[in-house]
Amino acid sequence: MSFGNHRTQFWLGVRNLLPLVSGVLPFGLIAGAQGVSLGMTPETIMAMTLLFFAGSAQLAAYQLIQDNAPFVIILVTSIVVNLRFAIYSVTFAPLLAPLRKHQRWPIAYLLSDQVYGLCAIPEQMAKSDGERLWYLIGVASSMWLSWVLSVVAGVAVGASIPAEWSLEFTIPLAFLAMLVATITRPVMLVVAIISGSCAVLFQQLPYNSGFIVAIVAGVSVGLLMPDNQRTEPTKAHSEEKC
Amino acid sequence: MDTLSLWLLFILAGFGTFLIRLSFIELHGSTQKLLERSRNILALLPPAILAALCIPAIIFSHSSGGDVIDITQISAAVGAIIVSILSRNVFWPIATGMLILWLLRLVT
Repeated sequence: MSFGNHRTQFWLGVRNLLPLVSGVLPFGLIAGAQGVSLGMTPETIMAMTLLFFAGSAQLAAYQLIQDNAPFVIILVTSIVVNLRFAIYSVTFAPLLAPLRKHQRWPIAYLLSDQVYGLCAIPEQMAKSDGERLWYLIGVASSMWLSWVLSVVAGVAVGASIPAEWSLEFTIPLAFLAMLVATITRPVMLVVAIISGSCAVLFQQLPYNSGFIVAIVAGVSVGLLMPDNQRTEPTKAHSEEKC
Repeated sequence: MDTLSLWLLFILAGFGTFLIRLSFIELHGSTQKLLERSRNILALLPPAILAALCIPAIIFSHSSGGDVIDITQISAAVGAIIVSILSRNVFWPIATGMLILWLLRLVT
């Protein structure tokens, strides 16, 4: 394994990420601009962006901050939205676990939907560990950079967007699009319908607890359905964009 | 929410997110059983969470003070659903939905 080969793999990863930037950029713009419209300072928005490095969790937090949800609900939701990262953690554990801590931890922080989508495909799995690792680092670091720069751009233009444009409505639309991409089996449609209806019905419950009730109800019904027995859980997530 | 709570929220949520990303990498080898058991729940959480987040925000409009059922938002969402079934990119459903929203607001 030569160093030259590693460098080739790194740049191959960077190059393969580039087309995905078209999906990352509008999301980053929304995440940045929304933070501004919620009255957050640029420093706060960028700190949030760096700490989360998870677009859907960031938008979920915005939505709940807007709803005046209590602290704990926002915190739990922002973390639970990211549970899919556990699947990525499993997927890349054989590759990353043998590394030293100072390499392992930064790479773990960089895991995202895009990294999973590009690095967990059979074509990549067939490569040597060294090649896979450097390809992954190329994808992950360029993904990080494009996300952060997109949010910066969103913060920059955010202040100039008039309120009449109702830009905040892009958040539920984004979640809706992600929802449609997530639904790959009938059981998931049932889960979404139950959870969505309960969220509407129990909206008036105190402390936003209706939100949690809805998720528990949706998942419980899904677990009880016979269709749920044959599972292929990782497939659905590769389509998510942020 | 005041700035201090926001920062506390972001730090805790960021730390929690990092722990999820790190979880199985750090525990590699000792977690296969647990994973098998929680697979079903992990697969069903995304649709449940996403639906609970977006459906109320689409059906009700907060702009006019209370919670009012908003037909323009619902129409925009229907358009977005159709486009997201057709296109894999998340951007086009959002663009379509916003376009429908603006057009309907212009007309009504």
